[in-house]
Amino acid sequence: MIQEKRGEDLSQVKSILDRYPRERRFLLAILQDIQKTYNYLPREALNEVRDYLGIPLSSLYSMATFYKALSLKPKGTYVIKVCDGTACHIRGSMDLIDEIRKLLSVSPGEVTKDGRFSLETVNCVGSCALAPVMVINDKYYGNLKPAMVKEILAGYGGIRGDWDTK
Amino acid sequence: MTGTPNNSGKTVLVCCGTGCLANNSMEIYKELKKRVEALGPGFAVRPVLKTTGCNGLCEKGPIVNILPDDIFYCRVRVSDVDEIFEKTILRGEVIERLLYLDTSTGRRVRSHKESEFYRRQLKIALRNIGQIDPASIDDYIERGGYNALKKALFEMSPELVISEIERSGLRGRGGAGFPTGYKWRQCKRVNSFPKYVVCNGDEGDPGAFMDRSIMEGDPHSVIEGMIIGAYAVGSKKGFIYIRDEYSLAVRNVSKAIEDAYSRGFLGRGIMGSGFNFDVEVVRGGGAFVCGESTALMASIEGRVGEPRVKYIRSTEKGLWGQPTVLNNVETWANVPVIIDRGADWFAAIGTDRSKGTKVFSLVGKVKNTGLIEVPMGITLREIIFDIGGGITGNGKFKAVQTGGPSGGCIPEALLDLPVDFDSLDRAGSMMGSGGMIVMDETTCMVEVARYYLKFLSEESCGKCTPCREGIRRMLEILEDICAGRGQEGDLELLLELSETVKEASLCGLGKTAPNPVLTTIKYFESEYLAHIRDKRCPAGVCRKLTSYRINTDLCRGCGLCAKKCPAGAISGKPGAPHIIDVSSCIVCGTCREVCRFNAVEVIGGRSE
Amino acid sequence: MRVIIDGKECEAGYGEYILDVARRNGIHIPTLCHSGALPGQGSCRLCIVEVAEAGKKKVVVSCLYPITGEIEVTTNSERIYRMRRNIVRLLAARAPSGEFIKKLREEYGIPEETRFKVDEKEKCILCGLCVRACEEIGLSAISTVNRGTTKKVAPPFEEPPEDCIGCASCAYVCPTGAIEVQEFEGKRVIWNRAFELLKCAGCGRYFITRQQYEYIKNKHGIDMKEPLCDRCRQKSTAEKLIHLL
Repeated sequence: MIQEKRGEDLSQVKSILDRYPRERRFLLAILQDIQKTYNYLPREALNEVRDYLGIPLSSLYSMATFYKALSLKPKGTYVIKVCDGTACHIRGSMDLIDEIRKLLSVSPGEVTKDGRFSLETVNCVGSCALAPVMVINDKYYGNLKPAMVKEILAGYGGIRGDWDTK
Repeated sequence: MTGTPNNSGKTVLVCCGTGCLANNSMEIYKELKKRVEALGPGFAVRPVLKTTGCNGLCEKGPIVNILPDDIFYCRVRVSDVDEIFEKTILRGEVIERLLYLDTSTGRRVRSHKESEFYRRQLKIALRNIGQIDPASIDDYIERGGYNALKKALFEMSPELVISEIERSGLRGRGGAGFPTGYKWRQCKRVNSFPKYVVCNGDEGDPGAFMDRSIMEGDPHSVIEGMIIGAYAVGSKKGFIYIRDEYSLAVRNVSKAIEDAYSRGFLGRGIMGSGFNFDVEVVRGGGAFVCGESTALMASIEGRVGEPRVKYIRSTEKGLWGQPTVLNNVETWANVPVIIDRGADWFAAIGTDRSKGTKVFSLVGKVKNTGLIEVPMGITLREIIFDIGGGITGNGKFKAVQTGGPSGGCIPEALLDLPVDFDSLDRAGSMMGSGGMIVMDETTCMVEVARYYLKFLSEESCGKCTPCREGIRRMLEILEDICAGRGQEGDLELLLELSETVKEASLCGLGKTAPNPVLTTIKYFESEYLAHIRDKRCPAGVCRKLTSYRINTDLCRGCGLCAKKCPAGAISGKPGAPHIIDVSSCIVCGTCREVCRFNAVEVIGGRSE
Repeated sequence: MRVIIDGKECEAGYGEYILDVARRNGIHIPTLCHSGALPGQGSCRLCIVEVAEAGKKKVVVSCLYPITGEIEVTTNSERIYRMRRNIVRLLAARAPSGEFIKKLREEYGIPEETRFKVDEKEKCILCGLCVRACEEIGLSAISTVNRGTTKKVAPPFEEPPEDCIGCASCAYVCPTGAIEVQEFEGKRVIWNRAFELLKCAGCGRYFITRQQYEYIKNKHGIDMKEPLCDRCRQKSTAEKLIHLL
């Protein structure tokens, strides 16, 4: 079952909806805007979208689980995207993931217990010349080695607790 | 690059493509700007400072190019800004150590145009990138932008535009290489309105960023191409579908559309003609299958990106069931040049059946990684060794992967293959959108095939049986092989499933999905057999089939590996050769990475 | 227009699908996701055939390939048979426990699966007919969820679906019996949601859920006044007719 925060303030959903005509073709854009605002798609927001566009909830759920840009679970404050495009893959992206897993106790697709980081693998961010690449929120880190990861994460406050003793 | 060339004035171009941005180029731009602005009103000829799109040579970024002298600085740091400003911008002196070091000659060159990396290239689709500020429509116009549109609208009939594109021999740059002019003609022929033109900017091939660079670095070229295409087929509405991850591309294209409206290149009565055309940006949702035309259209319609059966072409029934022309970013960017300079000029470039140039992202284990544009027909060897400067480190070339997950791996024996649509097809690969990933001896070809199938198993829409179930089972077999559970008969089964997936799948994703498997079996069968029969990964990638050993002749006993080993598996006295205890080794490769004497060797055949 | 299917000359209308023409002419092509009432799936790919047109051969799905010119169709060449057999094997490896799949497997002589990991309980082959049926009824209570190898059919949030009326049309169209419907003590349970069943005013048999009855009444304006099952309605109409005579 999907866990989510309860009682999100939905006032922003209404202002997002106001920007779009009531046409199905704006569905993806609306969902993306909600995703950007809340870091995920709150369930109540989907109900609002259903009522606004007159599209069955099942279609929204189908969209939300089909497109990778959409998520039904809240993401971390910092979204770590490790690129696993081909260029990054053959230059050792899996080692980066292992390192992050070790440091933050989080696997791809998960959020750290303190809710600060979520880890994702993405299929190419189009910065292959800098492989392997990691993106945290919108900041790119290129030509990485596993040993560099710890310092970078420390720049985001690391994870709560004494992870340095590891 | 100003309207009236002013030789005494300097233009400073700071590359702000994604590669350079990641290396702090925006900071360099800001610092330079601060100094230029501090010059005060008394300064006669003020240097002009611009941010540009990707120069292509991302490996050497951040890049600062100073015109008109064309001084090309690489790997610039913020700490270099003072020196660049004082010496080069103010006094015209060249800072030797920042110049580009040509890997093939070992010499530093002043202008990048003298380097091997650029000398072999021919820029058509990338003509403006790195030279203009993508946010400035004036920059685009100064370099001849929107001339082609004017020519098309006032000197050419739609029919003439189509025949010009046909004569040019332009083929779709997105993958299959369908003749662009013929596609337009099919659409024009259908007597049903409205008609749509669509730009596919959902570049999703891992290892490819050609379209990204064009949309970021020269968005107007795409828009101009689309307006011309719309005029030719009789469309009034266009959509540019951009991958959501490409936030800079979304921003730059949106800004360009806005500017094009305000200058009368879009909207009603374009340039005073009777032609109307509107275009809008649609952000993709993050689904590789949306690169497939019918899935992309479903996505624009606000649905799940599932493709539909294509026995009736999109040019007849596409978006909302209406005639639709869909081309990819690079194809559209070629259109204005062809109209401007003529079909004959374009058709003189390239090979008999593949005209013009192709943009590739040359990445992987190659020295000069980056974005290149080369005439069709150039050989893979020239691309990888002359332009790319060969393999990184002292590695040995093993394979080059072209065409993304739908393409294949091409071995050394075929390096002299000319790069064009048909030759790559014959080799079992494809042009695809232009990703070119170089692999060396440390790349395991079985693992590469596994990697692509894993990718496709996640990216398949899951609608049809052969693609969804076939890829899943092929992946299962490959995962087994990589983990040492390969069985006799696996290769035959892979080949048989490949045929079914290739022939019976609904869309292009499934129809090409087996290519990475087929080509790696075809060209690297012995590597598969080493995994299956000898339980050994010759490249040392598959952990279950790899073990490490310290070469006692090379080991100096520095103890670094023992210190870094997370499993405590390495022991030895200081100064004496160390030993890895295979039973506790977790094959993480840390020792191999940290050893300064290359003493850690990969051996296969880990017995379990 | 004339087409040749397996050597037999057949008459076909422009744009007619190969499958329809073949069936009319007594030529059997196996299908799973095809339904006369809900055409256009094209997802199971079992009905692949080879089409030769202008000297070129290609593999197409017969249920959706429109005939627009002189073509020659082969429905069961060695190649087609091999691929169809593979498709059955793949479907059987995914969903081994449906009766129809078992029958197909026997027909194609496919042995018990030993190479792949198999989920013995699974019955769904993801043909999509259930989703289509629900959409056609106007409810769309269920949809496909996820993509790629993790795709499945489910109600929103995988909870008992709000929009469902318990009509069980999805279960009715399912070719493999993958959707479970249980009826007991005047209740029907489907998609983990329980619905109250109404009795036929004529014969007293449970036959319709309350939600279904309301939906038909409100949405389609068919006022049954009181719930009558098909058989009893037929009877009552006939009786009315007799009285009129």
